[in-house]
Amino acid sequence: MAQEAATQYERVAEIGGGAYGTVYKARDRLSGQFVALKSVRVQTDQDGLPLSTVREVALLKRLEQFDHPNVVKLMDVCATLRTDQETKVTLVFEHVDQDLKTYLEKAPSPGLPASQIQDLMRQLLCGLAFLHSNCIVHRDLKPENILVTSRGQVKLADFGLARIYSCHMALTPVVVTLWYRAPEVLLQSSYATPVDIWSTGCIFAEMFRRKPLFRGESEVDQLGKIFEVIGLPAEEDWPADVTLSQRNFGPLSHRPITDFVPEISHQGADLLLEMLTFDPLRRISALNALDHLYFQEG
Amino acid sequence: MSNVQLSNSTLERLAARRTFPLHARTSACRNLFGPVDHEELNREMKMQLREISDRDQRRWNFNFETDTPLSGDYEWEETPTDSTPVFYQESVQTGRNRVAVSVPAKVKPCSDMASRDCATQDVPAPRPVDDRLSTPEATLPRSGELNQENCSDRLNSGKPKRKAAVCARRKRTSTTELTTTTTTHITDFYMKRKRMSEAKQSENSSQNSTLAIPVEQTPRKRIR
Repeated sequence: MAQEAATQYERVAEIGGGAYGTVYKARDRLSGQFVALKSVRVQTDQDGLPLSTVREVALLKRLEQFDHPNVVKLMDVCATLRTDQETKVTLVFEHVDQDLKTYLEKAPSPGLPASQIQDLMRQLLCGLAFLHSNCIVHRDLKPENILVTSRGQVKLADFGLARIYSCHMALTPVVVTLWYRAPEVLLQSSYATPVDIWSTGCIFAEMFRRKPLFRGESEVDQLGKIFEVIGLPAEEDWPADVTLSQRNFGPLSHRPITDFVPEISHQGADLLLEMLTFDPLRRISALNALDHLYFQEG
Repeated sequence: MSNVQLSNSTLERLAARRTFPLHARTSACRNLFGPVDHEELNREMKMQLREISDRDQRRWNFNFETDTPLSGDYEWEETPTDSTPVFYQESVQTGRNRVAVSVPAKVKPCSDMASRDCATQDVPAPRPVDDRLSTPEATLPRSGELNQENCSDRLNSGKPKRKAAVCARRKRTSTTELTTTTTTHITDFYMKRKRMSEAKQSENSSQNSTLAIPVEQTPRKRIR
């Protein structure tokens, strides 16, 4: 039988040195657990792997020791030299069938029950508070990066762009998918852990709506869409060191949040607005969000 | 200890050439353990790497070099990307950015965004370092709120939260210290010092009591 499996998966052809369009997953016959491989091809020079990659792998391994229930499990890291210019790093992760995006798509009408949204949000914030307490900003939180097991367990994934933050790090402004980007990222101001809370707020709203809250087509358009919901921030709240002026955004008549997320409860709306606070310093933290009255609702 | 004796002339040379790379040229540093066989070293490194690869291959019964499943405890299967979460897709890392290699069968609007990101990534200039010293980390805790970095014990051990405002206290002492140094009263200063050490002590004891099981302490960067 084992022999059979080996012959069954003989490769037909190799396209351009990588397996395009497929993902390898496996079931452990002993435990019944599923694992999946994620390969990252890293450009190397005469010094070998870039230090940033080595650090990232070390960070992933360090996090693994905590075995947090809301972070995707990394089982192994295997590096193989492909050419002199490229190393393939294969990460062996636990396999989860679906991400939040498909989970929301598959949810039967009229959408997820309120209790389920509350449970997903609690888990999401737990995972996030764990990352933040370990000095990690995810920076690319979106439904595709949030895995949901068949038992409804939330697991944060893809810290591809998450990195231990330090004041010497060169932060590139392009890190979060536009729709979940915090205003300070769109304005290219300085940013830290609150950017993940903003994304979480957008995802919170999306759980009710089953479609994204802000679907901007450019940075300015995205900001405009944000201000339609949260209102134009006061002049004094506007970051001082940015090129885009507050005056670029004409007088807006903003509508209450419940116009955009009608199914949300009173406490839920309150938490959502705390997360979608323009000023990152006044935005709620993951830890404080977990203490919000919303999570004590019925 | 070794009995290496440096002659006077060597010491002089060392003193004259303080830069590190030049040390290599002094006689004391020359071939202490005989010549290095680079070829042998290379062979040995390659062997070690092969051993690691073999171990990986055995553990997962998978050849990572050729992406070939082998026989063993793991039943491998190749599944199309559109039936698995996007996260597991192969990606290429170029510098600091990472892009997914394959576009899933159903083209999503966000993959569109991602490609736009890559196209515009070089437009905004990286911000200078000192600019970032005033990033939200420094001022992150709102009044009466804890910096999450100092709450790792709660998160990692699942213990109930304790309202020991370690970070807030530290901050307060450092600011009062600053103000007192401007109005230099030496006795005031002693008072503060004393209070500071008390604060430190209670801080330590509170930490000890909350950390019944040792959790990994990560070095923390504090930005002032």
